[in-house]
This record gives sequence, C-alpha cells and structure tokens, in this order.
Amino acid sequence: MFFPKEMTEVELIIPSKDIVAIAKVLSGHGVFHQVDSTYLGLESLSSNTWQDKAANYSALERRIQSIMQTLGVIEEYPTKADAESMVELDAITPAVNRIDEEVKGISEQLSTAKKRLELFESQLRQLEPIADVKVEVGALNNSSYLHSILGLIPASNINRLKTSIGRVPHVFFTLREDSQKPVVWVLGPKSNADVLDRAAKSAYLNPLSLPEEFAGTPAEITNTLKREIEATKKKIVELETSILTVADRNKTELQKLLWDAHVSRVMADAIVRFGQLRHTYVVVGWVPTANLENLKTKLKNASKEVLIETTPTTRSGHNDNVPVALTDNKWLRPFKDLLTTYGRPSYGEFDPTILLALSFPLLYGAMFGDIGQGLVMMLGGFLAHNRIALKGLQSIGLLFVYCGISVTFFGFMYGSIFGFEGHYVHDYLGFDLHPVWLSPIHGENILSVLRVAIDVGIIILFLSYLLSFFNNIRVKDWSHLLFGHTGVVAFLFFVCFLSLLGGFLGSTPIAPQVALTISQLPLPFNILTPVFAFGLMFNGLFRNIAEGHKPYIEGGIAMFLVQSFMDLFEGVISMLSNTLSFVRVGAFAVAHGGLSLAIFALAGEEADLGFWITIALGNLFIIGFEGLIVYIQTMRLHYYEILGKFFHGGGMRFEPLKLKPTQEEA
Amino acid sequence: MASGVSGYAAISTRVRAMYSDLLTPQDMVRLSEAPDFASLISALKSTPYGKYISGLKDNELTPRRVILQIKNRLADSFSSVIQQAPEQTRPLVKQLYRYFEVGNLKAVLRSIQTVSSWNPEVTTWDRVREILFPFGSFNSIPAQAMVESGNVGTAVDLLKGTSYESTMSFAMKRFSAEQNLFPLEVALDLDYWRRLWAEARRLSGKDREMAVKIIGSLLDMNNLMWVIRYKIYHKLSEEELINYTLPFGFRVRDEDVRAIAAGSDIASVVSRIYPDVADVSALLENPQSGLPKLEHQLKLQVVKQCVAAFVGDPFHIGIPLAYLLLSDFEIQDLIVLIEAKSSNMADEAYRPLLLKTSLV
Repeated sequence: MFFPKEMTEVELIIPSKDIVAIAKVLSGHGVFHQVDSTYLGLESLSSNTWQDKAANYSALERRIQSIMQTLGVIEEYPTKADAESMVELDAITPAVNRIDEEVKGISEQLSTAKKRLELFESQLRQLEPIADVKVEVGALNNSSYLHSILGLIPASNINRLKTSIGRVPHVFFTLREDSQKPVVWVLGPKSNADVLDRAAKSAYLNPLSLPEEFAGTPAEITNTLKREIEATKKKIVELETSILTVADRNKTELQKLLWDAHVSRVMADAIVRFGQLRHTYVVVGWVPTANLENLKTKLKNASKEVLIETTPTTRSGHNDNVPVALTDNKWLRPFKDLLTTYGRPSYGEFDPTILLALSFPLLYGAMFGDIGQGLVMMLGGFLAHNRIALKGLQSIGLLFVYCGISVTFFGFMYGSIFGFEGHYVHDYLGFDLHPVWLSPIHGENILSVLRVAIDVGIIILFLSYLLSFFNNIRVKDWSHLLFGHTGVVAFLFFVCFLSLLGGFLGSTPIAPQVALTISQLPLPFNILTPVFAFGLMFNGLFRNIAEGHKPYIEGGIAMFLVQSFMDLFEGVISMLSNTLSFVRVGAFAVAHGGLSLAIFALAGEEADLGFWITIALGNLFIIGFEGLIVYIQTMRLHYYEILGKFFHGGGMRFEPLKLKPTQEEA
Repeated sequence: MASGVSGYAAISTRVRAMYSDLLTPQDMVRLSEAPDFASLISALKSTPYGKYISGLKDNELTPRRVILQIKNRLADSFSSVIQQAPEQTRPLVKQLYRYFEVGNLKAVLRSIQTVSSWNPEVTTWDRVREILFPFGSFNSIPAQAMVESGNVGTAVDLLKGTSYESTMSFAMKRFSAEQNLFPLEVALDLDYWRRLWAEARRLSGKDREMAVKIIGSLLDMNNLMWVIRYKIYHKLSEEELINYTLPFGFRVRDEDVRAIAAGSDIASVVSRIYPDVADVSALLENPQSGLPKLEHQLKLQVVKQCVAAFVGDPFHIGIPLAYLLLSDFEIQDLIVLIEAKSSNMADEAYRPLLLKTSLV
C-alpha cells in the first residue's frame, strides 16, 4: 500500500513449437509486462515472419473496425470469449471480404447521394438572392451579343466597379440591396467582355455558379432543385435503412471476427518482441511478485520444456527500468488519479496515494466547512459514482463523496449549515447549532483560523521533509539526503527560519504556534541560522563533493558567490511562500462564510418563497463555483507545496499484455 | 463625451512628453555613424529603445530579434494613446493600429505559401512569430493556429468571427482560382484603408479636419504608390487599376488616380499634386531605384504634415495621430539602420533612405 507492487524480472526460454501457447498465457492474464527482447536473438536468422503476420492482423483488425464504424455497430468484445487463441488469417479473411463487399456497395452509393445533396443545396442557396428575377439564366449565358455577369460583390466595391467600367457601354443592376453581400448584374456588349470580366474580377465580384443542366428562370430552377433535393433525401433514407439491415444481419459475426483478429494481433505483437534463437525463443518481462507462482504454473502447463528464470528486484539503487504497478484499490482510485496526473512514483519510491487520501479531503473540508453543502456534495458524488446522475463526473464521484464527508465534518466544527450560522439557524431552521470549534467569519476568529492554517501547513511541510529523507535513505542517495533542496540542511535551516519567524511575529494574533514554540526552544538559533544558511547557500557544491565529484565553480569565484547568495535568497523566499501558502486554507474558510453572508444579503430577511429560492440558488452557486475554486486550490497545495517536497515520480507505467483493455484504458 | 480641452488635456500632455522622447535627427546621424551592428546596438542602448533591448542576452542580439524588440515601443505607444484618447476618437486610433495586424495577417499567409522552402529543423511558427508585430492584447487573429494549419484555405476559415471574415470570403474565390496571394493582400489593404477613412470621416470639428489631413496624407502616399507600382510592375489594365485603388485622400483625388490608370504621364500627375517634389521624371526613368526614392519623398510629405500638427491648437486628435506616425517612421529608419549595419552595407546605399536625417 505504501509502495508500488513488488516486481520480479522473468526470463523465459521457449521451444519454437510452443511460442503460440506461451504467448496465449502471457497475454491472457494481464500480469506480464513484456520487454522487447529481440536484441537478444540472433541477427543472422532470416527476417521475422511474425512481423508480417502482426502487420496483417493489425490491418485486418482496422478493416473490421472500419466496417463496423460504417455500419454503426458498437465495438464490443465478448464477456466470456469462446476462443482466446490465434486464428489463421485465411480463416477470417473471406468472411471479412464478403461483408466488406456488401457494405462498400451501399456506402459508396450513400456517399455519392450525400455529395449530390450538398451540391444541390449549395446551388439553391446561390439562387435565393435572385429567386424573384424573371430572366432566363441560360439564355443570358448563351446570348450572341450580350456579355452578362451575375454575382455577389462586397458592398464597398460597387461604386469603384461602376467607375472602372465607365468607359465601356454597360447596364448595371443591383438585384438585391445588402449591407454585406449585394447581388449585382452587369451587362455589356460581347465585344467588351474582356474589360467587363477584368473589372468584375478586380472588384471581387464572385459570379454565381448556377447549374448548367437546369434551364429556365431562377424560380423554375429553384423548383427543379427542390424536387431533386427531396428525391435525393429519400434515396439517402433508403440507403441508410439498407445499412441498418446489413448491420443487424452481420453484427454478431463482425464482433466475433473483430475478437479473433484482435486476439491474434495482440499475440503476434507479443511474439514479434520475442528474441529468436536457433531453435528457441527468449522472452523477458516483469511480473508482480504476487502473481508469479500462478503464472509459472500456467506457463508450465502450456509448455513442459519452458525454462523460467526469475530475478527478484530490490527497491534501493537505480531501478528506472522496473515498471511500476500501483496498488489497485478501488476506494483509493480518485487519489491515485490525482497522483498520476502529477507523476507516477518510481519503483523504490514511497507511494503517496494514501497520504493524498487523508490530506486532500482534510484541506478541502477545512476550506469549505458546511454540513448541508457537504451532504449535498456527498449525495452528488454518490449519484455520479454509481452512474445514477451526473454521469460525466463518474470518475471523480468518489472524490466528491470523500470531500463531502470532510466538508460535513468541518461544517460541525464551524457550526454552519447551508450558510446558516449562529442565531440564523434557530430563526430560520428552528433548531440550534453551535460550532464545535469556532465560526471562521466572526471577529477575532478570523485571525485564529489563519494562524491555525499556517500551523497545519508547517506540520504538513515537516512531514513532507521527513518523507523526502525517507525516500533518499531508501535509495541510499546520501548527497541529496544531506544537501538536496529538501535535505537535512535545508530542513534545519527551515526550522531556524521558523524560529526567526516566531520571534518576529512574537505575541501577535497571527503568529503560528509551531514557530513560536520553536523560537522558545533552548537552542542557539543565532549561531545555527548562519551555519545552516551557509550550508544551504553552498549545497550544490557540498552535494558535488559528497558524490565524489571534483567541485565545479562555473564563471569564476565572484560569480559563484553571487549565484550562491541568490540561491540562499531564493531558498528563504520559497520557504516563506511555502509556509504562507497555507494561509489560503484559513482564508477560504473565511471567504466561504463571507459568500454565504452575501447570499443572505440578497435574500433579505423575510422568510418568504423568494428568500428560500435565493438561498437554494445561492447554495447551488457556492457548491459549484466555490467548490471548484477550492478544488483547484487544494490541488495546487498538494502539487506545489506538498508533493514537490519529496515526490520525484518518473516511474515507468506497468503495461501488461492483455487481450481486453480495462475500462480505464478503453 | 469628453472633447476639446477637457478631453485632450491629459493625452496632449502625455503625447508631448512621449514626442520629446523621439530620437532627434542628430541622434539618428550618431546612430548611423556606428561602424557595425554591435556598435549600433550599444549606441541604441543609451536611447529610449535601450529598455526594450537590454533584456536580450548576447546570443539573442540578432537583427531580427532586435527589430522585434524595438517594435514593442510602438506597440506601447499605441496602447497608451488608445487608453487615453477621447472615446469618440478611439475607433480611429484602433483602426490605425490594425495596420500592423493586417501586416501580420499577410506575413502569416505568405509563410503558409512559402513554408516548403524553409529549414525543417525550425518549426514554421517559430520562424513566423519572429517577424510578426507584437500586437499583444489587441490581436484578433489566431496567427499560430493559422500557420500550423499549413493551408491558406483552412487558415482563412480560422478568421471566422473576426473583422476580416467578409473581405477574405470574397477574395478566397480568386485565391482558389489563381493560387496567388495578390488578390487576398489587395483586398485586405483596400478594406483596411476604407475602414480607416470612414473612421476619420466619422469625427467632427477639428478632430475630423486633422484626421482627414493626416490619415489622408498617408492614404495619398499609399494610393499613389499602388497605382504607379501596379501600372509599371504588374502592367494592370485601367479597370483593374481603378478597382485596386481608392477614390479618396487628402491631396490625391480620384481623377488623379484615374488619369494615371488611363495612361496619362505619371510624372506630370505627381508633380501637379506635389509641386515641391523635384525631378519626378528622372526618378521614374529607372523605376527599380527611382520608386523607393519617390516613396521616400512622399513619406517626407507625410512627416511634414505630422510635424505641422504640433503647431497651434493642441486639443485635437491630430497630435496623437501625428506622434504615432512619427514613431512608426522612426522605427522604419531604425530597421533600415539595423539591416544595413548587420549586412555591412555601404553608407551611401542606405543613408538616403533614412527619413529623419533627411529633415536635417
């Protein structure tokens, strides 16, 4: 639970005759993360025919998917597959060809009909502006003495066009006045056609492209087009019905064909990455240790002669090549998702999912405490998680539930229900509710809440530093343990920094208790602070020395000193900002109360229908709007202030061979 | 609606302060005496442009990067003027500023057309962004998405909802048929100037008088250069020349443009409009070298108009407009200097092109 699953490296030597059976076992159980071992094979052997097979299966799978898409058949894999073995290409290709032929004929007709419909509709749109012009369009185009241009022109170009053709005889009509795209008609002698065309073109007059096969006036052509559109639409409906019939008839067969092609492709892909020796194959991969014995038994059942060699992996040292499988606890999944968005732990690293599961709802609830809104959030989360409502939020439904519980808990702590606090609860809801702790919005409580938020932040930062030590000790990275940016020296300087902060803020109401307590410890902070500041200032240099490297001073001593001082300055600033960053937890708790007060101010004092509608809408607004902002702030605190202190990530994802994608991947 | 003294008190003071920060002709002479690009940059650092280039590291001090940085000063000037200008004049200033967006749009379209000849190791967008004017929050075109679309048609589709949509939809038909950016660029230019002129004419009183004078002078220069270039280089017909130019301006009338389009002697038309521009016939004898010189002369006419705006009644939009144009001309001068120094061009080849030193 606190670390990624323990993994074992597995190496198999398989006789050539058993490779399909072994591939079936390896890909059928979803526990084997294959490593490409072709480099272990003999280069002198002939080219891998499995590569061609895999490519053929892949092409066939895509072809079946394309047919299913055309037919609107959903890609579904059987819940309990009859066959989970490789099927020969020749066994499934004829059936695919037959269905493809049948579908292709109809889909091509459908595509042509749709294009035709599009063309007719576009021509109809072009005719609309001149629908009421009683001129035979075809006759004008075929005139022996007149040159005619009919089209749309930018309104601002009309005058310029008229000027430009002023020297040739012409007639100019504006058929439709429009501030953007007026329709104009220019007529002139055929002998001046070139002048008229050049003028029209340079004035950006776009001639209407009317259908040549239709004759008559625009109104007559419009009627013909409308009839054609109706007929084409009818044809499209008929073709779509045919497609549905073909889909119904072939649905089951297509799904079976897809499954066969898919299984064969997955296995062929796996075999492609086997290393081929003279009479055997070598396969390398990773298996969660817990699944190892079961897999070995299955492999032995599939091939009596398979040789299995296993190498357990330690978590210390460099193990970047080990895939990382996180514990798959469905109750912790939302936090796992939050973590993997930031990064995937490396194999030897502490998996902070459980820490997130505690701290995320805690900080969220502290910023948003309200019994009623918490219960609504829980209900919403429950409905989303179980896909009863808010289906789009299913993946974070459970997170809503946890946060809702925390919000409700803090609602009791702050004595707030749907924004009602203090005597308002009695006056409007008819019962008494007293804060178990305090009401953040009232008087001096504001400063107390802010102070406690900083205290909690300091404790969380301490914990983050300790986790960083723990991670460095586990991987035996002593230089970073001592001189890393979250190493021992940095931590001790942070403690000294807090003692200074405590001393500076003294007895002010905002002074964090942890810092005050530290400042009162009987330690010589006036000596320790410069010592650890010196350590922090030159931590890069010390880290180099601790790693056994020659100290490297870039750009001369003076530049190095300036840079080191800036590092220290940046360190102090970031410690201050990290610590004060947690003020937001208290600030949002106060802001939450403030927002509720604003809703009450809008609602008025009379408990009539309008009052309750305003309160209900206001609460919905707070849950939606503030809930989202608090979510972002909580995530920010975790990503920047907490995880950034100790979590490195960068682990390789565990991607076992499997026949069916999980719901998450699908 | 604030106008007159109340409307212009603040902006007039601010613009005059900024005006005094423009480089003097003597400054420009001093800069042009820098022996090489590095010395020029070092001299520029002691001018008001210093703060725009001081942030660049040594390896970033390329001509292209420096030009981009100094353009930021003009962008700042426009932002400042737009914010402080009286409400009724803001559309005009904003439209004037759009000139650079139109330039960006053309650069984007050209990059899509020519991308295949570029070094494949540098992404197209990285190349293009370096030459775009830093338009900041006023930008309305999705330049990066357009460049990355890799296709003029798709890029133009991305202009949906912008003020360029309608113009481009007409011009795209011609682009599709001709596969040439010329009709798109001409359409953009004509639309830009029509809108700018309309905004100037929408004003009233002294604002209108000054806006028509300054914007009109700028438009005169463009209109005249268009008709001359289209006629000499593109050999366009009379009707095309008329359609690709505009019928308004301050000194250049529609009759002048039409006369050139119809075949009248260009030199005599130009001399009639600008009697103080000397030797127009000589300049037009060799258009390759003469037209840039003619354009330089016409720019000087605009500069004179701008400088004149600072004399007399200060409470009108003429002063901010004049300042912005003078800033732009100054940056054009600096670009000439930067390019000349970085390519070790001989002094006599570029000095005649500097506007500011021509005023000495």
